[in-house]
Amino acid sequence: MEDDDRCSSNNPGGIEQEEEDEDGTVLRFLDSLDSYLTLLDALSSTLRQGWFELASARHSMGSSRISSVLLDQKVRSAATTFQVGKSIDGSPSESHPSFAISKWASSRDGKCSFGEMEVSHVQKTSKNSELRHRGSSNFYDTTEEHDLRINASSTIGDGDVQKERSKSLSVFGTLVSPKLRAAQVSFETALDAIVEIANIRSSMLCAFTQLQQEMKEKGLG
Amino acid sequence: MAGRAQIPTKNSALIAMIADEDTVTGFLLAGVGNVDLRRKTNYLIMDSKTTVKAIEDAFKEFTSREDIAVVLISQYIASMIRFLVDSYNKPVPAILEIPSKDHPYDPAHDSVLSRVRYLFSAESVASGRR
Repeated sequence: MEDDDRCSSNNPGGIEQEEEDEDGTVLRFLDSLDSYLTLLDALSSTLRQGWFELASARHSMGSSRISSVLLDQKVRSAATTFQVGKSIDGSPSESHPSFAISKWASSRDGKCSFGEMEVSHVQKTSKNSELRHRGSSNFYDTTEEHDLRINASSTIGDGDVQKERSKSLSVFGTLVSPKLRAAQVSFETALDAIVEIANIRSSMLCAFTQLQQEMKEKGLG
Repeated sequence: MAGRAQIPTKNSALIAMIADEDTVTGFLLAGVGNVDLRRKTNYLIMDSKTTVKAIEDAFKEFTSREDIAVVLISQYIASMIRFLVDSYNKPVPAILEIPSKDHPYDPAHDSVLSRVRYLFSAESVASGRR
């Protein structure tokens, strides 16, 4: 006890720094947790929109034209891929994976176009305004936003990207319903959310691991 | 976990899916479908005839492949192989549980949230007070 008192009086700054670091870790963990839940809510809304558009396309084109039977086993590479890198929060020993997406990359040799990153930024900004409205259904009130996204996607994407998109749609026939195109955009948006969720999850688990270690050191875990 | 395990960096990695037909179809429209020379796909479509063993095998295969960065699994399917999903602890590929048309997302069943939940449990608070 006396040693502890001597230590604390000799190095009060060190203990304060430790407590600040711990508070920082707790805050990072709680922020990640909140973002994780909010993003999952946003993903649910986007997927619901995509399923609805897919159902509408099936209604107009016929059930036989949109089914898994058409997903042939022809050899093909994914046009949309992920990159995995390392992200470091705080000390170098606490690295965690970070994820990035490259959409329709096969036509552009793996380069993600600025246009598509721009669209992702717009979507992120619009999502931020809904951060504190968890649980509300954004199913119908994002129609305008969704139309903007479709227009943005069709004007920003270059010819190669449009070619890749059409190739993806061509599995279901030469002439497809506009609803199927809309569903494609919705699921592309869902992929953006999935990348963010993967990164937030990674950050949350990293902060959680740090907290566990700190609790163990203090004899609480 | 995240700090200790080796984190492999990957370019052009795939996203794997274990979900119902509409969800898989939608994501295939977005260009994530891959079929390799051995006719192996990066997705499993769940229907009424899919067995739990098939889901387990697909999950084990996707989580052991070097070319997969993320595994998307519908939460209701993850609940069928909950033990396997909860015992998975590698940083890559990341396992994300997503909602399906008939089963909305439930945070109470998410394996990541279950793992961190104990921080807020009465036991962990009580042990701090002792």
